[in-house]
Amino acid sequence: MPTTISAGDTAWLLMSAALVMLMTPALGFFYGGLVRRKNVLATIMHSFFILCLISVQWVLWGYTLAFGPDKGGIIGGLDWLTLKGVGQEPGPYAATVPHQAFMVFQMMFAVITPALITGAFAERKRFKAFVIFTLLWATFVYDPIAHWVWGGGWLGQLGALDFAGGTVVHITSGVSALVAALVLGRRVGYGREALEPHDATMTVLGASLLWFGWFGFNAGSAITAGGLAANAFVVTNTAAAMAALTWMTVSWLHKGAPSVLGAAAGAVAGLVAITPASGYVDVSASILIGLGAGIFCYTAIQLTKRLRVDDALDVFGVHGVGGAWGAIATGIFATVAVNGAAKDGLLAGNPGQLGIQAIAVGASILYSAVMTFVILKLIDVFVGLRVPESEEVLGLDASQHREAAYQI
Amino acid sequence: MEILAFASFVVLVIAWLVAPSRGNVIAVTHKTEERKAA
Repeated sequence: MPTTISAGDTAWLLMSAALVMLMTPALGFFYGGLVRRKNVLATIMHSFFILCLISVQWVLWGYTLAFGPDKGGIIGGLDWLTLKGVGQEPGPYAATVPHQAFMVFQMMFAVITPALITGAFAERKRFKAFVIFTLLWATFVYDPIAHWVWGGGWLGQLGALDFAGGTVVHITSGVSALVAALVLGRRVGYGREALEPHDATMTVLGASLLWFGWFGFNAGSAITAGGLAANAFVVTNTAAAMAALTWMTVSWLHKGAPSVLGAAAGAVAGLVAITPASGYVDVSASILIGLGAGIFCYTAIQLTKRLRVDDALDVFGVHGVGGAWGAIATGIFATVAVNGAAKDGLLAGNPGQLGIQAIAVGASILYSAVMTFVILKLIDVFVGLRVPESEEVLGLDASQHREAAYQI
Repeated sequence: MEILAFASFVVLVIAWLVAPSRGNVIAVTHKTEERKAA
């Protein structure tokens, strides 16, 4: 394996890390626009705080748990605690970039994943409970599953394909969001009053910045600045566009108007679904993946609303369902014509890959659901998950942060 | 697969042509929200 650092690869990976970093505050704006004005600061704070918290957790112990030398296929060893041994020379995961560049790129994935969950418990979670939950969830859910898939763990050894995080990022966060919504319960007034987005323009801006950052998320996951990155870039853009068009169309036919927020949510659903597949599929497949994302995610959200589950900002429908669809679609559409280092999927004559993808999806769902439930219950016992009803009615900006978003 | 990709886009275009040109008007303003809060 060559160990010469490539300036092009390193520049691309560092740039991609910066693009993915932008996605977390962008998510804050995406979610911030969807909540009521009394909770916008608290919602944006969730994402901003996680950017700070996980940036430190990752360098102290998160990276070594996820990517340290494998221990039984389950977890990484503590060899790289506080980044000892992670320096300017290439590491075992990328031959042409400094180990630190790979580490910081992966850090941004670890940052955004727990931030995605915050949409499920928006407008009612105690800030202290949120802080403890994030730290425990990153350590006991994200880091192990990242190791299973990307760090030499058992799912990677099994042959599961996940180019940029369909299982590691989106299924884990989406399923955990559903569990969190069920454990916390509905917001005060749910079903009795309109809990309307306070600023749709903020949400569309957030979605647009997410889309922009996602080029780093997916094309950056090629690690090298070459053809594979270009393919990931193109299919990412195509799937996002197709899913936005599909979601808007389905909601138009269903509810009688082409929703702006629907187009924004659809784009995010398409970005989620193409994430695991982006290094393995061609453009035609990305159109079908985007189409499926628009239909499946929209339908899932209608179903959760009918079941009166208050997943406040539809995290499960977009990320859980979109991530699962993307992981399964990878098993259907993957082809070595796009990535010679990967494997064919069902349509290229390898039906076994679909089974492996299903195992990866099932394992991610099961582990993240159980662990999230345990973590939330423990926090509820020792700290309490929800703010009192009076504080929820007042709004979290005032009750948790003693600040107001707007003076107009 | 290329045919399916083309067909799915064509289906969307047709759906835009047949979709209702005007939905139900739902007026949600900050004022109504504030009134509810009060």
